[in-house]
Amino acid sequence: MEGGLLGFLEKNSIYIVLFIVLVVWIGIFLFLINTDKRLKAIEKELGKPYSGKKEN
Amino acid sequence: MIWKAILFILMCFVIITGISFPIVENPQGWMQFPIIPGLGEKAKIIFFHVPTAWLSVIAFLMAMVYGIRYLRNKNLDEDAKSAAALQLGMMFCILATVTGSIWAKFNWGTFWNWDPRETSIFILLLIYGSLFALRSAVENEDKRARLSAVYSIIAFLTVPFFIFIMPRIMLGLHPGSLEIDPNSGKIVQGTSPVVDFKMNGNMRLVFFVSLAAFTILYWWMWKVRYRSIIIQEYISKK
Repeated sequence: MEGGLLGFLEKNSIYIVLFIVLVVWIGIFLFLINTDKRLKAIEKELGKPYSGKKEN
Repeated sequence: MIWKAILFILMCFVIITGISFPIVENPQGWMQFPIIPGLGEKAKIIFFHVPTAWLSVIAFLMAMVYGIRYLRNKNLDEDAKSAAALQLGMMFCILATVTGSIWAKFNWGTFWNWDPRETSIFILLLIYGSLFALRSAVENEDKRARLSAVYSIIAFLTVPFFIFIMPRIMLGLHPGSLEIDPNSGKIVQGTSPVVDFKMNGNMRLVFFVSLAAFTILYWWMWKVRYRSIIIQEYISKK
């Protein structure tokens, strides 16, 4: 296993950073998708429109 | 939905190329970046630090635009959009300060040097920080929206000066500032990757893709934020 992926990563540690940043980005992306979906569900439940326009 | 997929791909592209492409003296292949004098490997910060500063300008601009729209039609939704932009602008402004400060420690020796660029972002943080204090101090929502709109218009007038002009007309350490030429002793325009783009074609491509990706990300965050503010206000009025 020394010469495999682990060995490569040990010699080129910048790729470990790369993978970590990619995982962080995927996590943020999935979180945003989830939040967006929940917001849509709440908006649907409340029903439109709930505008802040002043009633004169 | 397509733009979310585009954002995901663009950001992955920026992360993979921005981190893994090596910086070499004479770039031969398409997957090599050139050395920028005085920056070395640390030049890669440009793909992640500059977009945060860029987004704070975009956010403060949007806060002003929606502030003007609120003053025109007195719709509190516009105030929610302006407030969401302000919050994100502040967040990205803090991120730009922190990332720049960490970089400064390793490039200039200390975390904080009162360089013109650092001073100007500090003043911007104070200006916009006081806007949050103002918003939280006013309970009447119409009054709060009106004051916030007027303040965000006036505050944005200072942004071009503090971000684009002041750091470029003063002597400083940050790329883009004026420098003293060691040979002639005269004040000259700095050798900056930000101003005169001493980047090669592919580095410039990654940089602009990064700006685009971060802008789409901001757009998404802003939409989620203002929609949640509108819902929150709607529920609190019920």
